[in-house]
Amino acid sequence: MPILDVHNLSKIYEGKVSTQALNHIRFSVEKGEFVGIMGPSGSGKTTLLNTIATIDQPTSGQILINERDPNLLSRKEKALFRRHELGFVFQHFNLLDTLTVEENIVLPLTLAGVHVTEMESRLKEVASMLDIEHLLQKRTYEISGGQMQRTAIARAMIHRPALILADEPTGNLDSKASGEVMNMLTEVNKEEGATVLMVTHDAVAASFCNRVIFIKDGRFYSEMYRGSSRGAFFQSIIDMLSLLGGTSHDLSAIRL
Amino acid sequence: MTFRQFAYRNVTRNKRKYAAYFVVSAFSVMIFFVCALFIYHPDISKSLVYSTAAHTMMAAEAIIYVFCSLFVLVSVGSFLQSRKMEFGILLMHGMTKRQLNMMVFLENMMIGTSAILTGTLLGLILGKLFLMIGSTFLGIPLLTFHLPWQALVLTICSFALLFILISLSTFFFIGNESLMRLFQGERKAEEEPKVSLVLSILSALLLLTGYFMAATAQAASVEKVMFPVVVITVAGTYLFYTQLSIYTVKLLKTIRRLYWNHTNIITLSGLSYRWKENARMFFMVTIVSAVSFTSVGVFASIHTLSRELKLDYPAAVGYVAKGNQLQDPFDQHLDEIKEELTTLGLPYETLSIPIKYAEVESQTGPDRTLKLPLIAYSDYKLALLRAGFTTDEQPLSRDEGLVMIGSQRDRSLQAGRVKPVYTLKQGLSIREMGYTQHVPIAEYLLPELDGRDGGDFSGVVISDELYKAIHPVQTDLYTGFYMDDFPQTVGIAADLAHKGKRSYENNSPYAIVVSGTLFEIQRTLYNTMLFASLLVGTVFFIAAGSFLYFRLYTDLDHDRHQYSTLSKMGLTDQELNRIVTIQLSLLFFVPVGVAILHSVFAFIALQRLFYLSIAVETGAVLLGYLAVQGLYFFFIRSRYLRNLKKNLI
Repeated sequence: MPILDVHNLSKIYEGKVSTQALNHIRFSVEKGEFVGIMGPSGSGKTTLLNTIATIDQPTSGQILINERDPNLLSRKEKALFRRHELGFVFQHFNLLDTLTVEENIVLPLTLAGVHVTEMESRLKEVASMLDIEHLLQKRTYEISGGQMQRTAIARAMIHRPALILADEPTGNLDSKASGEVMNMLTEVNKEEGATVLMVTHDAVAASFCNRVIFIKDGRFYSEMYRGSSRGAFFQSIIDMLSLLGGTSHDLSAIRL
Repeated sequence: MTFRQFAYRNVTRNKRKYAAYFVVSAFSVMIFFVCALFIYHPDISKSLVYSTAAHTMMAAEAIIYVFCSLFVLVSVGSFLQSRKMEFGILLMHGMTKRQLNMMVFLENMMIGTSAILTGTLLGLILGKLFLMIGSTFLGIPLLTFHLPWQALVLTICSFALLFILISLSTFFFIGNESLMRLFQGERKAEEEPKVSLVLSILSALLLLTGYFMAATAQAASVEKVMFPVVVITVAGTYLFYTQLSIYTVKLLKTIRRLYWNHTNIITLSGLSYRWKENARMFFMVTIVSAVSFTSVGVFASIHTLSRELKLDYPAAVGYVAKGNQLQDPFDQHLDEIKEELTTLGLPYETLSIPIKYAEVESQTGPDRTLKLPLIAYSDYKLALLRAGFTTDEQPLSRDEGLVMIGSQRDRSLQAGRVKPVYTLKQGLSIREMGYTQHVPIAEYLLPELDGRDGGDFSGVVISDELYKAIHPVQTDLYTGFYMDDFPQTVGIAADLAHKGKRSYENNSPYAIVVSGTLFEIQRTLYNTMLFASLLVGTVFFIAAGSFLYFRLYTDLDHDRHQYSTLSKMGLTDQELNRIVTIQLSLLFFVPVGVAILHSVFAFIALQRLFYLSIAVETGAVLLGYLAVQGLYFFFIRSRYLRNLKKNLI
């Protein structure tokens, strides 16, 4: 059974000039997969992610997460659904600056009303996995970008969501930090069996995925599975991007 | 676009940010202006009785002015703080420091000028209404609308001066920060507020000491402890906001069971940041509201005071002819008073009591009385009868003496006084055994006991036998005019009594008290004070709320960003509402709550000065304030929530 099933998803933005952002997209993600979504600017990547995240309403089509359609839920139920089933990693980290690192990490659990001892043990677990134990007491302005993104990943996975959604997680990081963060994300995916869906511009980041889906102008364009070598996968992603018309170093605008 | 246009557009296109600042300034100008209208109104300034009212209003003007300058200064400071990024951009594009100063100066002057114009205009429109309300409050004939040029000049000049000075002071606020720092903006690091345990404990101790001293103050000591209590409480309050409250939140945070529980984590962490930022403002609001609650509460108790007045002045008009003087002016005075009362058609009864003065050889206790005023017990009874008081006091025997209280107020002072035994020069002795239950002869008409000016007890009642045996060094004659409707006597014997009284201590051959005039003066004075403190209270209240709103508005972008992250993570609308409501209600009601607590203790202390209870009146005032603050809270909360949710998913 797929964790995420996107079925003929279309999204039309109404307005003076209506634009079709998504056009009959269909794909599914199995449990434990690490899927990347790529495409040139304006191809509808962020819209796709937002509709899956239940932040945006699809115009037509269906999204099933764990066999449930979140779009049938009320506003409040949707929020609770996100709280329990989804984890978010943002380009700008979006950590709360009034909280310490550890408080940021346990936030999803506190919102869900988990017991403190349970929170502490899980915090220990994810912190050691992501190698941020020494940062736990620090405030967010005291740590580097890479550390912030690792904190954000810890926050996205601590409540063991069905699906982790990452929006350009390396978009604000230098190459070294990007590498670290992607390694962590891969580790989370492998060790914890977390399912990850990531939107990215960065071919290096995408090469960490098991599979990359390419979309262009809101339509499904092609799909690529990774073989044994990440280097070869990276090369074929670059090739595909040039075919798509975007460049591999296409800079993204600020999203989400 | 000229430079001036640029500054103008900066202001007009940033309406929302400037709104709170502008509203408060304009409102202060308006209140200031209507107060000035009041003061310079010919009916007020020319009348002798109401000129005290004008003085009170003048004090209110001064308070409004001082407060307004503080408020404007603080707002301008945080304004500039919030615009650092913008200044950075301008400086980077080649604006000189001089031009930047000029721009800020122009902007402030524009707001100032428009605030003065708006305030004065509104004052002109609402002036008549205010005069009507004012005259109803003071219970004086309706004041006609009149525009004294002094009011206009005073308002415009003083506020123009204020805004010019503040605008000039902005140069210091802008400072000389580097471009880099300007770009980092105002909110680069939300450092954990620094607090110390010692100072927090000190704050708690100071507050408790202040409260304890206020609660245990005795009537006699209230005036003495007043100043230290105020200083201690003010210091304690300051530390409460800057240390104790933040320390408490910090302690709460260490209890994970509480802190890591649902939305508490967001509520508390956001609160401690916001608290630190607003601590000084809260301090100001608390002190100012405590003062205005207390004063309004005290003045709202005016009805209590007037009931007391009836008890304090048994005779509507009291007259004492001092002995050792020639006889003629007295009869003439009494005839004058009688004539006036008859002209007014007031029925009255008179009573005359001789007062003997005995020379005191020595007395026990700390005080020293030279001449002891004495009246006979039968005369005392007669005086009570005329005044309509009843008493169950037993006749006196031998050397017993009852001390006459000069007013009901004195009853609260009885506990702190030593009852002395007097030994008279002629050999007799008089032992004070208690106090009279009622006031037989009003205060000001007899010299004070214990040899102190402004002391409180009047003289001693002794048995008729003892009275006969006294060889007086001086004999005064008291004449009382008794009637039911004493307020009617207002203005009687105006040439004898300046503002209703001529007290015994004055070096004139007589003493007189006209209760009606005294009552009228006291009533208008208290009513003006009530009116003025209500006006000032309103200004403070609007200013405090607006300042909070302004702060919230400055942080709106940041908060919006934070809440949008949270709502993506699955924070429901209800939870968001709860977080915001809890935070805002603490921000709104803690200062008011502390102020109420302060004033309750102030009332407890003041209660000892008033004989009758002022609890009901006080409670009504405090409840009124709470209700209005509640309304304001809901208004701000709904606005803030609406703004916050604008860009939320």
